Amino acid sequence: MEMDMVKYLAKLAKLSFTDEELEKAVADMTDIIDLMDTIKDIDVVYDAYKDNHNVYLADLRKDEAMPSLPTEKLLANAVNQENCFVVPKVVE
Amino acid sequence: MSMDLTVKQLRDGLDSREFSAREITQSYLDRIEKIDGQLESYITVTGEKALAAADKAQQRIDAGESAPLTGIPMAIKDNICTEGVLTTCASRMLENFVPPYNATVMDRLEAQDTVLLGKVSMDEFAMGGSTQTSAFKKTKNPFDLTRVPGGSSGGSAAAVSADLCGAALGSDTGGSIRQPASFCGVTGLKPTYGRVSRYGLVAFASSFDQIGPIARSAEDCGIILNAIAGYDYHDGTASKLPVEDYTAKLGMDMKGKKIAYVSEFFGEGVDDEVRNSVLAAIDSYKAMGAQVVECSMPSLKYAIAAYYLIASAEASSNLARYDGIKYGHRSEVEGSYNDLVIASRSEGFGDEVKRRILLGNYALSSGYYDAYYGKAMGLRQRIREEYAGIFEKCDLIITPTAPSVAYGINENIHDPRKMYQADFCTVTVNIASLPAISTTCGYNADGMPIGMSIVGNMWKEADIIGAADAFEKTFVRRSAAL
Repeated sequence: MEMDMVKYLAKLAKLSFTDEELEKAVADMTDIIDLMDTIKDIDVVYDAYKDNHNVYLADLRKDEAMPSLPTEKLLANAVNQENCFVVPKVVE
Repeated sequence: MSMDLTVKQLRDGLDSREFSAREITQSYLDRIEKIDGQLESYITVTGEKALAAADKAQQRIDAGESAPLTGIPMAIKDNICTEGVLTTCASRMLENFVPPYNATVMDRLEAQDTVLLGKVSMDEFAMGGSTQTSAFKKTKNPFDLTRVPGGSSGGSAAAVSADLCGAALGSDTGGSIRQPASFCGVTGLKPTYGRVSRYGLVAFASSFDQIGPIARSAEDCGIILNAIAGYDYHDGTASKLPVEDYTAKLGMDMKGKKIAYVSEFFGEGVDDEVRNSVLAAIDSYKAMGAQVVECSMPSLKYAIAAYYLIASAEASSNLARYDGIKYGHRSEVEGSYNDLVIASRSEGFGDEVKRRILLGNYALSSGYYDAYYGKAMGLRQRIREEYAGIFEKCDLIITPTAPSVAYGINENIHDPRKMYQADFCTVTVNIASLPAISTTCGYNADGMPIGMSIVGNMWKEADIIGAADAFEKTFVRRSAAL
């Protein structure tokens, strides 16, 4: 795998790597993709119908509001202020 | 007091007043204090809560109203949410995460007044087979402290094996209950996908993940599955099929049962001692009257790739939720929203988690999707069809749980490819959503446990528990050295 591809995947993943980590990631990913490439030897096509034809809408739960957790409990693991999550400023 | 007690024995001891719930809980806490410094199975020990829960359980026992797990001290894998109790997933990302709610399995255990001893270690986000990717406790094997306990539920298996709990819960995405159970010489059950609610299980690969028990016997696994199985409003993939009594077929009569011998599971890459031990177990079943049917699974050689592509694709999506804002590690970095998210994720996730995210993004990215993810999904269907063909002719399949016994710490962890390949005995069960149980069937020359897996058709947990129990009744299990 090329360095540019690893950088592109890291960007998609919102991960940053040092130069040394990038070198290691290229080596690891090359080895891993080589293992994944074994599936190129088999001719098989995914048939979405097989997976989806037996999903019955009647089995889904009703679309109705249910009690949820209190706001203070949900904010307890976050930096919060005035019942809101705090994020860096995103508008001028 | 010997602490090598099954759930059944603990139940009898509690109900006959041989010991109280507080006494047995305190005994486990004392033993954790004494030996877990070497073993490193627990990330969090909930001593005071455990004793309070034991006292509550005792009132129920005294009233003659015990449920099967009332007062039984258990350890819970640290990716199962426990309200008010730290749940780290063995990751810096969730180092300080205290869930505001219980996983459904925890509610069900609490409904029986089970005692939570603490949260046990695992591979970070359940990604690994050695528990050495844990950011906090790199658990050892109780049979030999220089070896790994397996993973990802290595803390659960080691804690059961070392008598640091009565039983434990783990989770299994590609073998993470069965392989550590095999390495630590205990019994682990991966239920059918949808049998146990995943609500409150920190998501890794949502179409594979399943919670299940690790215990000293197949019977114990059945008792625990009885408590945790069943439909859940909060999990749309939890099945509405009625829950059976999973202990109903204990000591199953094997006469006339057809066991599939799938040759590909016994081929290249499997250690001789493992192969011979599992074949000897199959011979034991033959002696009990079972018939062995030779079968084939041609797609097994592609299973590792199919599994890692699908699991990593799902993981890359599931782990996108960790942004440092709502919960989880938040970087101190100054800058934009994007800078904060990138820094939080880069500081919070370990190397293996990052590798899986990169692989998942690759499999799903434009230009590669059809060649990797699409093809892996096609293989998933092919593997399911091959299993269905085998179950038209057979009742059970027996395979090795892992190609080797527990290996030395640091032996494989710097070689991701080798680590992934070691999962080939277990991943197809998750790919096909099937139930499987691993139980000890022998020991190698060094005294390390060897596990075999009994795989059943969808929803046939009672059958595989029954068959495993029939073998366990003929087999002398050894205690760990620790």
